[in-house]
Amino acid sequence: MAEQNLTDTIDFDRSVLGVDYDVGTIEVSKEKIIAYAKALGETNPLYLDEEAAKAGPYGVIIAPPLFYNMFSLEAGPDPKVNFGTSGFDGGQHVEFFEPIKAGDTIFAKTQIADVYAKTGRTGTMVFTVRRTTFTNQDGEQNIVMDRINVRRDLSQ
Amino acid sequence: MSQVYFEDVEPGYEVGPVVKNPTREQLDAFTTVWGSQTGRFTSDEAAQKEGFSGVILPGNMSMALLAQVITDWAGSAGKLKRLECDFRRYVQPGDTLNCVGLVTDTETEGDESRVIMDVYIENQRGERALQGTALVLLPNKP
Repeated sequence: MAEQNLTDTIDFDRSVLGVDYDVGTIEVSKEKIIAYAKALGETNPLYLDEEAAKAGPYGVIIAPPLFYNMFSLEAGPDPKVNFGTSGFDGGQHVEFFEPIKAGDTIFAKTQIADVYAKTGRTGTMVFTVRRTTFTNQDGEQNIVMDRINVRRDLSQ
Repeated sequence: MSQVYFEDVEPGYEVGPVVKNPTREQLDAFTTVWGSQTGRFTSDEAAQKEGFSGVILPGNMSMALLAQVITDWAGSAGKLKRLECDFRRYVQPGDTLNCVGLVTDTETEGDESRVIMDVYIENQRGERALQGTALVLLPNKP
């Protein structure tokens, strides 16, 4: 079956597709950036050392690229995908713009960008693409991140 | 650390493998910063109830370790512009992770010098735990 036809058979709430929801405002502290960088064993002084960061291109400590994962956000829109018996985190597709910096206020919005079905060797899986956009207090876009959730039917 | 330049790179160029050995202490520090209370990341008992032998790493932690290999290589004048990773197998503390970037293409677009690469993490059993692509901007040779 063509993928589009297969997707047409999936039961979910299509009204949330492409609609942005505010999911949080985050104050970024240098302490949290440093703790995150240390946990990952980062060595870049721009993440870890205030003096070095002052002399660097941004003048303040910046966050490693995937730091946004530490933000606690609201769940956002629920497409109510009615399929399968279990879900897992399928991955992330991320585009980076302005770095997130210590002292920033970050605004996060999430939309359901896509829901689609595919059939592979382990049966049909339904993919939900949740797109979160992070923007700072100056209106600069920091990150656009697609998080992909996969649902499948293990009872088959 | 010496800076890599766009002119140094061509298809077939390999970044790594850089070996990462995430520890339980690192995982605990990561979930503490995150504030995550998800059992399979924080409690062996909870992870075992889900069928794992013990705690596992969040996918975004493994992805951050892979990103680190790329950004360390790209240096202070390079920039990670895009990273797409699919999470294929779970990772546990004590695993040996070979983190690799393999350049597949290079291009110049406007004033951007772009390197496109396949990126992946292979565990000690030779299985791909994470797999994806990256787009990195590198400076031109002065």
